[in-house]
Amino acid sequence: MKKLLLLLSVLVMVMGFSLAVHASPEEDRLVFRKFYEKRFPNVATEDFINGAYSIDKAGRENWEAIEEFPPYEPFMERGREMWEKPFANGKGYKECFPDGPGVAHKYPHWDKKQQMVMTLPLAINQCREANGEKALKYKKGSINDILSYMAFESRGQITNVVVPKNDSSALDAYEQGKKFYYTRRGQLNFSCAHCHLQNAGMNLRAEMLGPALGHTTHWPTYRSKWGTVGTLHRRFTGCNKQVRAKPFKAQGEEYRNLEYFLTYMSNGLPLNGPGARK
Amino acid sequence: MLIKYKLGILLLMIAFASGQVLAADQGKAAAKPQAAEKKAVAEDPRAAAANKIILAADAARKKAGSVGGEWRDTGKMLKKAKAAVKSGAYDKAIKLAEKAGRQGELGYTQATSQQKLQLPSYVTVLYVNK
Amino acid sequence: MRKKSLQLVSVTRVISVLLACMLLVTFSVSAGPAAKDQSKAVSKDVQDGKKVAFSRKKGNCLACHMMAGGEAPGNIAPPLIVMKSRFPDIKKLRAQIWDAVVRNPESSMPPFGRHRIISEKEIDQVTAYIWSL
Repeated sequence: MKKLLLLLSVLVMVMGFSLAVHASPEEDRLVFRKFYEKRFPNVATEDFINGAYSIDKAGRENWEAIEEFPPYEPFMERGREMWEKPFANGKGYKECFPDGPGVAHKYPHWDKKQQMVMTLPLAINQCREANGEKALKYKKGSINDILSYMAFESRGQITNVVVPKNDSSALDAYEQGKKFYYTRRGQLNFSCAHCHLQNAGMNLRAEMLGPALGHTTHWPTYRSKWGTVGTLHRRFTGCNKQVRAKPFKAQGEEYRNLEYFLTYMSNGLPLNGPGARK
Repeated sequence: MLIKYKLGILLLMIAFASGQVLAADQGKAAAKPQAAEKKAVAEDPRAAAANKIILAADAARKKAGSVGGEWRDTGKMLKKAKAAVKSGAYDKAIKLAEKAGRQGELGYTQATSQQKLQLPSYVTVLYVNK
Repeated sequence: MRKKSLQLVSVTRVISVLLACMLLVTFSVSAGPAAKDQSKAVSKDVQDGKKVAFSRKKGNCLACHMMAGGEAPGNIAPPLIVMKSRFPDIKKLRAQIWDAVVRNPESSMPPFGRHRIISEKEIDQVTAYIWSL
Protein backbone atom coordinates (compact mmCIF):
# COMPACT_ATOMS: atom_id res chain seq x y z
CA MET A 1 0.00 0.00 0.00
CA LYS A 2 2.67 2.44 1.06
CA LYS A 3 4.80 1.55 -1.93
CA LEU A 4 1.91 1.97 -4.28
CA LEU A 5 1.16 5.39 -2.84
CA LEU A 6 4.79 6.34 -3.18
CA LEU A 7 4.87 5.20 -6.78
CA LEU A 8 1.71 7.13 -7.49
CA SER A 9 3.00 10.30 -5.92
CA VAL A 10 6.26 10.00 -7.80
CA LEU A 11 4.28 9.58 -11.01
CA VAL A 12 2.18 12.61 -10.25
CA MET A 13 5.29 14.57 -9.44
CA VAL A 14 7.02 13.60 -12.66
CA MET A 15 3.96 14.41 -14.72
CA GLY A 16 3.48 17.65 -12.86
CA PHE A 17 7.13 18.45 -13.28
CA SER A 18 7.11 18.16 -17.05
CA LEU A 19 3.89 20.12 -17.23
CA ALA A 20 5.13 22.79 -14.88
CA VAL A 21 8.47 23.20 -16.60
CA HIS A 22 6.82 23.86 -19.93
CA ALA A 23 4.09 26.00 -18.44
CA SER A 24 3.36 29.47 -19.77
CA PRO A 25 3.51 32.46 -17.42
CA GLU A 26 -0.27 32.52 -17.43
CA GLU A 27 -0.48 28.87 -16.34
CA ASP A 28 2.07 29.60 -13.62
CA ARG A 29 -0.01 32.50 -12.39
CA LEU A 30 -3.21 30.47 -12.20
CA VAL A 31 -1.43 27.75 -10.23
CA PHE A 32 0.03 30.37 -7.91
CA ARG A 33 -3.40 31.74 -7.18
CA LYS A 34 -4.91 28.32 -6.79
CA PHE A 35 -2.29 27.44 -4.23
CA TYR A 36 -3.26 30.32 -1.95
CA GLU A 37 -6.98 29.99 -2.55
CA LYS A 38 -6.73 26.38 -1.43
CA ARG A 39 -4.63 27.16 1.60
CA PHE A 40 -6.62 30.21 2.69
CA PRO A 41 -10.14 29.56 1.42
CA ASN A 42 -11.59 32.31 3.60
CA VAL A 43 -9.37 35.07 2.27
CA ALA A 44 -10.71 37.04 -0.68
CA THR A 45 -8.09 37.04 -3.44
CA GLU A 46 -7.87 40.83 -3.46
CA ASP A 47 -7.12 40.90 0.24
CA PHE A 48 -3.72 39.25 -0.39
CA ILE A 49 -2.41 42.71 -1.28
CA ASN A 50 -2.35 43.26 2.48
CA GLY A 51 0.27 40.59 2.93
CA ALA A 52 0.40 38.69 6.19
CA TYR A 53 -2.38 40.92 7.49
CA SER A 54 -4.78 39.19 5.14
CA ILE A 55 -4.42 36.10 7.33
CA ASP A 56 -3.16 37.45 10.66
CA LYS A 57 -6.13 38.91 12.56
CA ALA A 58 -4.21 40.25 15.55
CA GLY A 59 -1.52 41.79 13.38
CA ARG A 60 -4.15 43.36 11.17
CA GLU A 61 -5.71 45.48 13.92
CA ASN A 62 -2.32 46.83 14.87
CA TRP A 63 -1.56 47.56 11.23
CA GLU A 64 -4.86 49.31 10.62
CA ALA A 65 -4.12 51.59 13.56
CA ILE A 66 -0.73 52.42 11.98
CA GLU A 67 -2.36 53.14 8.63
CA GLU A 68 -4.58 55.79 10.25
CA PHE A 69 -1.51 58.01 10.49
CA PRO A 70 0.56 56.61 7.62
CA PRO A 71 4.26 56.69 8.44
CA TYR A 72 5.10 57.01 4.74
CA GLU A 73 3.24 60.33 4.31
CA PRO A 74 6.26 62.64 4.81
CA PHE A 75 8.09 60.58 2.18
CA MET A 76 5.23 61.07 -0.27
CA GLU A 77 5.26 64.80 0.38
CA ARG A 78 8.96 65.06 -0.34
CA GLY A 79 8.41 62.93 -3.42
CA ARG A 80 5.77 65.31 -4.70
CA GLU A 81 8.27 68.15 -4.38
CA MET A 82 10.84 66.13 -6.30
CA TRP A 83 8.32 65.46 -9.02
CA GLU A 84 7.43 69.15 -9.37
CA LYS A 85 10.94 70.56 -9.16
CA PRO A 86 12.79 70.83 -12.48
CA PHE A 87 16.32 69.46 -12.87
CA ALA A 88 19.26 71.82 -13.37
CA ASN A 89 18.69 71.67 -17.14
CA GLY A 90 15.12 72.91 -16.76
CA LYS A 91 13.50 69.59 -17.59
CA GLY A 92 11.99 67.23 -15.04
CA TYR A 93 10.38 63.90 -14.27
CA LYS A 94 7.28 65.11 -16.05
CA GLU A 95 9.06 64.93 -19.39
CA CYS A 96 10.30 61.40 -18.72
CA PHE A 97 6.89 60.22 -17.55
CA PRO A 98 4.46 62.04 -19.83
CA ASP A 99 1.49 60.06 -18.47
CA GLY A 100 2.03 61.52 -15.01
CA PRO A 101 3.20 60.07 -11.72
CA GLY A 102 0.54 57.33 -11.47
CA VAL A 103 2.31 54.84 -13.72
CA ALA A 104 3.66 52.22 -11.27
CA HIS A 105 1.36 49.61 -12.83
CA LYS A 106 3.35 49.86 -16.06
CA TYR A 107 6.39 48.41 -14.30
CA PRO A 108 8.18 46.12 -14.43
CA HIS A 109 8.01 45.67 -18.17
CA TRP A 110 10.16 44.17 -20.86
CA ASP A 111 12.25 46.84 -22.54
CA LYS A 112 12.80 45.57 -26.04
CA LYS A 113 15.34 48.20 -26.97
CA GLN A 114 17.58 47.61 -23.97
CA GLN A 115 16.76 43.87 -23.91
CA MET A 116 16.12 43.87 -20.19
CA VAL A 117 13.45 44.11 -17.55
CA MET A 118 12.74 47.78 -16.83
CA THR A 119 11.67 48.64 -13.32
CA LEU A 120 10.36 51.95 -12.03
CA PRO A 121 13.46 52.78 -9.93
CA LEU A 122 15.66 52.06 -12.94
CA ALA A 123 13.48 54.24 -15.18
CA ILE A 124 13.71 57.06 -12.61
CA ASN A 125 17.49 56.91 -12.63
CA GLN A 126 17.71 56.67 -16.41
CA CYS A 127 15.60 59.80 -16.51
CA ARG A 128 17.89 61.57 -14.06
CA GLU A 129 21.06 60.56 -15.83
CA ALA A 130 19.70 61.53 -19.25
CA ASN A 131 19.17 64.98 -17.77
CA GLY A 132 22.59 65.28 -16.21
CA GLU A 133 21.51 64.44 -12.66
CA LYS A 134 23.18 61.95 -10.39
CA ALA A 135 21.56 58.53 -10.09
CA LEU A 136 19.88 57.80 -6.77
CA LYS A 137 20.78 54.85 -4.58
CA TYR A 138 18.49 51.87 -5.06
CA LYS A 139 17.81 50.70 -1.52
CA LYS A 140 17.80 53.63 0.90
CA GLY A 141 17.44 57.37 0.60
CA SER A 142 15.48 59.77 -1.52
CA ILE A 143 14.56 57.28 -4.25
CA ASN A 144 11.97 56.17 -1.72
CA ASP A 145 10.46 59.66 -1.67
CA ILE A 146 9.75 59.82 -5.37
CA LEU A 147 8.69 56.16 -5.40
CA SER A 148 6.30 56.75 -2.49
CA TYR A 149 4.67 59.62 -4.34
CA MET A 150 4.37 57.69 -7.58
CA ALA A 151 3.07 54.61 -5.77
CA PHE A 152 0.41 56.67 -4.05
CA GLU A 153 -0.63 58.23 -7.33
CA SER A 154 -0.88 54.72 -8.80
CA ARG A 155 -3.15 53.31 -6.11
CA GLY A 156 -6.03 51.32 -7.50
CA GLN A 157 -4.32 50.59 -10.82
CA ILE A 158 -4.22 46.92 -11.67
CA THR A 159 -1.02 44.85 -11.82
CA ASN A 160 -0.65 43.79 -15.42
CA VAL A 161 2.78 42.50 -16.31
CA VAL A 162 3.18 41.32 -19.88
CA VAL A 163 5.73 38.83 -21.17
CA PRO A 164 5.74 39.63 -24.89
CA LYS A 165 5.52 36.51 -27.01
CA ASN A 166 7.49 37.93 -29.91
CA ASP A 167 10.70 38.27 -27.91
CA SER A 168 12.12 35.06 -26.48
CA SER A 169 14.53 37.04 -24.30
CA ALA A 170 11.54 38.34 -22.35
CA LEU A 171 10.41 34.81 -21.59
CA ASP A 172 13.98 33.93 -20.64
CA ALA A 173 14.02 36.76 -18.12
CA TYR A 174 10.72 35.59 -16.70
CA GLU A 175 11.97 31.99 -16.47
CA GLN A 176 15.12 33.14 -14.72
CA GLY A 177 13.03 35.00 -12.17
CA LYS A 178 10.92 31.89 -11.67
CA LYS A 179 13.98 29.75 -11.21
CA PHE A 180 15.39 32.21 -8.70
CA TYR A 181 12.20 31.90 -6.71
CA TYR A 182 12.44 28.13 -6.37
CA THR A 183 16.19 27.85 -5.84
CA ARG A 184 17.63 27.05 -2.43
CA ARG A 185 20.16 29.62 -1.34
CA GLY A 186 22.58 30.41 1.45
CA GLN A 187 23.88 28.39 4.33
CA LEU A 188 20.34 27.90 5.67
CA ASN A 189 19.28 26.41 2.34
CA PHE A 190 15.92 28.14 1.86
CA SER A 191 14.31 29.13 -1.39
CA CYS A 192 11.85 32.03 -1.54
CA ALA A 193 9.13 29.40 -1.95
CA HIS A 194 10.01 27.62 1.28
CA CYS A 195 8.86 30.58 3.34
CA HIS A 196 6.26 32.25 1.16
CA LEU A 197 4.55 29.25 -0.45
CA GLN A 198 5.27 26.09 1.51
CA ASN A 199 5.07 27.76 4.93
CA ALA A 200 2.95 30.83 4.21
CA GLY A 201 0.69 31.57 7.15
CA MET A 202 2.94 29.72 9.58
CA ASN A 203 4.93 31.43 12.29
CA LEU A 204 8.67 31.88 12.17
CA ARG A 205 9.15 32.58 15.86
CA ALA A 206 6.42 35.16 16.44
CA GLU A 207 6.38 36.45 12.85
CA MET A 208 3.83 35.18 10.38
CA LEU A 209 5.22 34.32 6.96
CA GLY A 210 3.37 36.28 4.32
CA PRO A 211 1.93 34.79 1.14
CA ALA A 212 3.80 35.67 -2.07
CA LEU A 213 0.58 36.56 -3.83
CA GLY A 214 0.30 40.33 -3.46
CA HIS A 215 3.91 40.70 -2.38
CA THR A 216 4.64 43.27 -5.09
CA THR A 217 1.60 45.55 -4.83
CA HIS A 218 2.69 47.90 -2.07
CA TRP A 219 6.21 49.20 -2.70
CA PRO A 220 8.01 51.12 -1.46
CA THR A 221 7.11 50.16 2.09
CA TYR A 222 7.62 51.75 5.48
CA ARG A 223 8.99 49.00 7.68
CA SER A 224 9.01 49.58 11.41
CA LYS A 225 12.10 47.39 11.56
CA TRP A 226 13.88 49.79 9.21
CA GLY A 227 12.32 52.89 10.72
CA THR A 228 11.97 54.23 7.19
CA VAL A 229 10.61 53.56 3.72
CA GLY A 230 12.61 51.10 1.62
CA THR A 231 12.50 49.61 -1.85
CA LEU A 232 11.47 46.13 -2.96
CA HIS A 233 15.05 45.30 -3.80
CA ARG A 234 16.13 46.31 -0.33
CA ARG A 235 13.65 43.75 0.95
CA PHE A 236 15.01 41.11 -1.45
CA THR A 237 18.46 41.87 -0.04
CA GLY A 238 17.18 41.34 3.49
CA CYS A 239 15.55 38.03 2.61
CA ASN A 240 18.74 36.73 1.03
CA LYS A 241 20.79 37.78 4.03
CA GLN A 242 18.38 36.07 6.38
CA VAL A 243 18.99 32.74 4.69
CA ARG A 244 22.72 33.57 4.87
CA ALA A 245 23.19 34.02 1.15
CA LYS A 246 25.23 36.86 -0.27
CA PRO A 247 22.64 39.29 -1.61
CA PHE A 248 22.67 40.34 -5.25
CA LYS A 249 22.96 43.91 -6.44
CA ALA A 250 19.83 46.01 -6.13
CA GLN A 251 18.50 46.58 -9.66
CA GLY A 252 20.95 43.98 -10.98
CA GLU A 253 19.68 41.43 -13.47
CA GLU A 254 18.85 38.75 -10.86
CA TYR A 255 16.55 40.92 -8.76
CA ARG A 256 14.95 42.60 -11.77
CA ASN A 257 14.08 39.22 -13.26
CA LEU A 258 12.79 38.07 -9.90
CA GLU A 259 10.61 41.18 -9.72
CA TYR A 260 9.35 40.43 -13.23
CA PHE A 261 8.25 36.93 -12.28
CA LEU A 262 6.91 37.83 -8.85
CA THR A 263 4.90 40.81 -10.10
CA TYR A 264 3.46 38.70 -12.91
CA MET A 265 2.17 36.28 -10.26
CA SER A 266 0.12 39.16 -8.82
CA ASN A 267 -1.40 40.17 -12.15
CA GLY A 268 -4.97 41.28 -11.62
CA LEU A 269 -4.40 42.61 -8.12
CA PRO A 270 -4.72 46.34 -7.44
CA LEU A 271 -1.75 48.46 -6.36
CA ASN A 272 -1.86 49.79 -2.79
CA GLY A 273 1.53 51.38 -2.24
CA PRO A 274 3.23 52.79 -0.40
CA GLY A 275 2.78 50.18 2.29
CA ALA A 276 3.44 49.91 6.00
CA ARG A 277 4.73 46.76 7.61
CA LYS A 278 6.20 45.65 10.92
CA MET B 1 50.62 62.32 32.73
CA LEU B 2 54.35 62.67 32.30
CA ILE B 3 54.95 59.68 34.50
CA LYS B 4 52.65 57.60 32.39
CA TYR B 5 54.44 58.74 29.25
CA LYS B 6 57.79 57.84 30.68
CA LEU B 7 56.50 54.56 31.86
CA GLY B 8 55.22 53.86 28.35
CA ILE B 9 58.60 54.56 26.85
CA LEU B 10 60.25 52.39 29.41
CA LEU B 11 57.85 49.58 28.62
CA LEU B 12 58.49 49.94 24.91
CA MET B 13 62.18 49.78 25.51
CA ILE B 14 61.81 46.64 27.53
CA ALA B 15 59.70 45.13 24.81
CA PHE B 16 62.32 45.98 22.25
CA ALA B 17 65.15 44.79 24.36
CA SER B 18 63.61 41.42 24.92
CA GLY B 19 62.77 41.25 21.24
CA GLN B 20 59.08 40.74 21.81
CA VAL B 21 56.74 41.47 18.97
CA LEU B 22 53.96 41.31 21.51
CA ALA B 23 53.88 45.09 21.78
CA ALA B 24 52.51 45.25 18.26
CA ASP B 25 49.28 43.67 19.41
CA GLN B 26 48.86 46.27 22.07
CA GLY B 27 47.85 48.84 19.55
CA LYS B 28 48.74 52.24 18.21
CA ALA B 29 51.59 52.97 20.58
CA ALA B 30 53.88 50.75 18.60
CA ALA B 31 54.86 52.18 15.25
CA LYS B 32 58.30 50.68 15.14
CA PRO B 33 57.42 47.21 16.35
CA GLN B 34 54.94 47.02 13.45
CA ALA B 35 57.80 47.17 11.03
CA ALA B 36 59.49 44.43 12.97
CA GLU B 37 56.29 42.39 12.75
CA LYS B 38 56.09 42.83 9.00
CA LYS B 39 59.52 41.39 8.71
CA ALA B 40 58.44 38.49 10.86
CA VAL B 41 55.43 37.89 8.63
CA ALA B 42 57.56 37.72 5.57
CA GLU B 43 59.87 35.26 7.22
CA ASP B 44 57.41 33.09 9.07
CA PRO B 45 56.60 29.99 7.02
CA ARG B 46 53.23 29.77 8.79
CA ALA B 47 52.25 33.12 7.29
CA ALA B 48 52.97 31.83 3.82
CA ALA B 49 50.96 28.70 4.57
CA ALA B 50 48.02 30.73 5.86
CA ASN B 51 48.14 33.06 2.87
CA LYS B 52 48.10 30.10 0.53
CA ILE B 53 44.97 28.72 2.17
CA ILE B 54 43.35 32.15 2.12
CA LEU B 55 44.06 32.46 -1.59
CA ALA B 56 42.55 29.06 -2.31
CA ALA B 57 39.50 29.86 -0.18
CA ASP B 58 38.99 33.15 -1.97
CA ALA B 59 39.08 31.30 -5.27
CA ALA B 60 36.42 28.90 -3.95
CA ARG B 61 34.31 31.86 -2.84
CA LYS B 62 34.57 33.47 -6.27
CA LYS B 63 33.73 30.17 -7.96
CA ALA B 64 30.55 29.94 -5.89
CA GLY B 65 29.77 33.55 -6.75
CA SER B 66 30.16 32.81 -10.46
CA VAL B 67 27.10 30.54 -10.28
CA GLY B 68 25.16 32.77 -7.87
CA GLY B 69 25.86 30.51 -4.92
CA GLU B 70 28.02 32.61 -2.62
CA TRP B 71 27.07 32.64 1.05
CA ARG B 72 26.67 35.68 3.23
CA ASP B 73 29.61 35.40 5.60
CA THR B 74 32.34 33.84 3.44
CA GLY B 75 33.84 37.16 2.40
CA LYS B 76 33.79 38.43 5.98
CA MET B 77 35.58 35.29 7.18
CA LEU B 78 38.34 35.84 4.66
CA LYS B 79 38.73 39.47 5.72
CA LYS B 80 39.09 38.31 9.29
CA ALA B 81 41.56 35.64 8.22
CA LYS B 82 43.70 38.23 6.46
CA ALA B 83 43.63 40.44 9.53
CA ALA B 84 44.62 37.46 11.66
CA VAL B 85 47.67 36.83 9.48
CA LYS B 86 48.69 40.46 9.91
CA SER B 87 48.52 40.20 13.67
CA GLY B 88 50.43 36.95 13.65
CA ALA B 89 47.50 34.74 14.68
CA TYR B 90 48.24 32.13 12.04
CA ASP B 91 46.27 29.28 13.55
CA LYS B 92 43.20 31.45 13.73
CA ALA B 93 43.77 32.63 10.17
CA ILE B 94 44.09 29.09 8.86
CA LYS B 95 40.98 27.97 10.71
CA LEU B 96 38.94 30.84 9.32
CA ALA B 97 40.25 30.39 5.80
CA GLU B 98 39.51 26.68 5.83
CA LYS B 99 36.00 27.39 7.00
CA ALA B 100 35.55 29.97 4.26
CA GLY B 101 36.92 27.59 1.65
CA ARG B 102 34.43 24.91 2.64
CA GLN B 103 31.63 27.47 2.45
CA GLY B 104 32.75 28.31 -1.05
CA GLU B 105 32.66 24.67 -2.07
CA LEU B 106 29.29 24.05 -0.42
CA GLY B 107 27.77 27.15 -2.01
CA TYR B 108 29.05 26.07 -5.41
CA THR B 109 27.63 22.57 -4.98
CA GLN B 110 24.33 23.98 -3.79
CA ALA B 111 23.95 26.17 -6.86
CA THR B 112 25.16 23.69 -9.45
CA SER B 113 23.02 20.86 -8.06
CA GLN B 114 19.98 23.00 -8.88
CA GLN B 115 20.88 23.99 -12.40
CA LYS B 116 17.57 22.67 -13.61
CA LEU B 117 14.40 24.20 -12.25
CA GLN B 118 12.92 21.91 -9.62
CA LEU B 119 9.39 22.82 -8.69
CA PRO B 120 8.12 21.48 -5.37
CA SER B 121 5.44 18.79 -5.47
CA TYR B 122 2.84 20.98 -3.76
CA VAL B 123 3.04 23.24 -6.79
CA THR B 124 3.40 20.66 -9.57
CA VAL B 125 0.38 18.78 -8.30
CA LEU B 126 -1.75 21.83 -9.08
CA TYR B 127 -0.66 21.76 -12.71
CA VAL B 128 -1.89 18.19 -13.04
CA ASN B 129 -5.31 18.79 -11.52
CA LYS B 130 -6.02 21.70 -13.79
CA MET C 1 -9.07 8.10 7.03
CA ARG C 2 -6.49 10.68 7.97
CA LYS C 3 -8.06 11.39 11.31
CA LYS C 4 -8.15 7.73 12.13
CA SER C 5 -4.53 7.20 11.28
CA LEU C 6 -3.66 10.26 13.30
CA GLN C 7 -5.48 8.80 16.26
CA LEU C 8 -3.67 5.56 15.75
CA VAL C 9 -0.37 7.39 15.65
CA SER C 10 -1.12 9.24 18.86
CA VAL C 11 -2.17 6.02 20.59
CA THR C 12 1.04 4.30 19.56
CA ARG C 13 2.93 7.35 20.66
CA VAL C 14 1.42 7.30 24.10
CA ILE C 15 2.15 3.61 24.43
CA SER C 16 5.71 4.02 23.31
CA VAL C 17 6.22 6.91 25.70
CA LEU C 18 4.92 4.78 28.53
CA LEU C 19 7.19 1.96 27.46
CA ALA C 20 10.12 4.33 27.25
CA CYS C 21 9.38 5.60 30.75
CA MET C 22 9.22 2.07 32.12
CA LEU C 23 12.47 1.22 30.41
CA LEU C 24 14.08 4.29 31.86
CA VAL C 25 12.95 3.40 35.34
CA THR C 26 14.27 -0.15 35.13
CA PHE C 27 17.46 1.16 33.60
CA SER C 28 18.13 3.69 36.33
CA VAL C 29 17.30 1.13 39.02
CA SER C 30 19.67 -1.45 37.67
CA ALA C 31 22.37 1.04 36.81
CA GLY C 32 25.70 0.41 38.44
CA PRO C 33 28.53 2.89 39.04
CA ALA C 34 29.90 2.47 35.52
CA ALA C 35 26.59 3.41 34.02
CA LYS C 36 26.48 6.41 36.32
CA ASP C 37 29.64 7.85 34.79
CA GLN C 38 28.22 7.39 31.36
CA SER C 39 24.98 9.05 32.26
CA LYS C 40 26.93 11.98 33.67
CA ALA C 41 28.59 12.47 30.28
CA VAL C 42 25.22 12.21 28.61
CA SER C 43 23.66 14.80 30.88
CA LYS C 44 26.54 17.17 30.17
CA ASP C 45 25.81 16.78 26.48
CA VAL C 46 22.15 17.40 27.16
CA GLN C 47 22.98 20.60 29.02
CA ASP C 48 25.32 21.88 26.34
CA GLY C 49 22.88 20.81 23.69
CA LYS C 50 20.18 22.93 25.24
CA LYS C 51 22.36 25.99 24.77
CA VAL C 52 22.95 25.10 21.13
CA ALA C 53 19.24 24.49 20.58
CA PHE C 54 18.14 27.80 22.08
CA SER C 55 20.89 30.00 20.61
CA ARG C 56 19.61 32.05 17.69
CA LYS C 57 22.96 31.90 15.96
CA LYS C 58 23.36 28.14 16.33
CA GLY C 59 20.39 25.78 16.40
CA ASN C 60 17.65 28.38 16.67
CA CYS C 61 15.20 25.47 16.91
CA LEU C 62 12.51 27.79 18.30
CA ALA C 63 12.29 29.58 14.98
CA CYS C 64 10.24 26.66 13.72
CA HIS C 65 9.66 24.17 16.56
CA MET C 66 7.78 24.38 19.81
CA MET C 67 10.15 23.28 22.55
CA ALA C 68 9.67 22.96 26.29
CA GLY C 69 10.77 26.14 28.08
CA GLY C 70 11.01 28.21 24.90
CA GLU C 71 9.02 31.41 24.47
CA ALA C 72 7.24 32.49 21.28
CA PRO C 73 8.13 29.43 19.22
CA GLY C 74 7.39 29.09 15.52
CA ASN C 75 4.95 26.47 14.26
CA ILE C 76 6.47 25.66 10.89
CA ALA C 77 7.67 22.25 12.03
CA PRO C 78 6.39 19.64 14.52
CA PRO C 79 6.73 20.36 18.25
CA LEU C 80 9.76 18.72 19.81
CA ILE C 81 8.06 16.31 22.19
CA VAL C 82 8.12 12.54 22.81
CA MET C 83 11.26 12.41 20.73
CA LYS C 84 12.29 8.95 21.90
CA SER C 85 9.11 7.48 20.53
CA ARG C 86 9.37 9.41 17.29
CA PHE C 87 13.03 8.45 16.92
CA PRO C 88 13.64 5.19 18.78
CA ASP C 89 17.05 5.18 17.14
CA ILE C 90 18.97 8.28 18.19
CA LYS C 91 21.17 7.92 15.12
CA LYS C 92 18.19 8.63 12.93
CA LEU C 93 17.46 11.78 14.88
CA ARG C 94 21.06 12.86 14.46
CA ALA C 95 20.87 12.18 10.73
CA GLN C 96 17.71 14.25 10.53
CA ILE C 97 19.41 17.20 12.21
CA TRP C 98 22.52 16.71 10.09
CA ASP C 99 20.55 16.93 6.84
CA ALA C 100 16.77 16.64 6.75
CA VAL C 101 16.75 16.89 2.95
CA VAL C 102 17.95 13.28 2.72
CA ARG C 103 14.64 11.98 4.02
CA ASN C 104 12.50 14.69 2.45
CA PRO C 105 13.92 16.56 -0.54
CA GLU C 106 11.45 19.38 0.02
CA SER C 107 12.18 19.85 3.70
CA SER C 108 12.66 23.44 4.79
CA MET C 109 14.87 22.41 7.71
CA PRO C 110 18.39 23.78 7.32
CA PRO C 111 21.03 21.05 6.92
CA PHE C 112 22.91 21.79 10.13
CA GLY C 113 25.65 19.25 9.49
CA ARG C 114 25.97 19.22 5.72
CA HIS C 115 26.19 23.02 5.60
CA ARG C 116 28.28 23.19 8.77
CA ILE C 117 25.87 25.55 10.48
CA ILE C 118 27.02 24.00 13.75
CA SER C 119 29.95 21.68 14.45
CA GLU C 120 29.78 17.87 14.61
CA LYS C 121 30.26 18.07 18.35
CA GLU C 122 27.42 20.53 18.65
CA ILE C 123 25.25 18.20 16.61
CA ASP C 124 25.99 15.41 19.09
CA GLN C 125 25.05 17.72 21.94
CA VAL C 126 21.89 19.08 20.41
CA THR C 127 20.83 15.57 19.40
CA ALA C 128 21.23 14.43 22.99
CA TYR C 129 19.16 17.35 24.20
CA ILE C 130 16.37 16.99 21.66
CA TRP C 131 16.22 13.25 22.31
CA SER C 132 15.72 14.00 26.00
CA LEU C 133 12.56 15.96 25.23
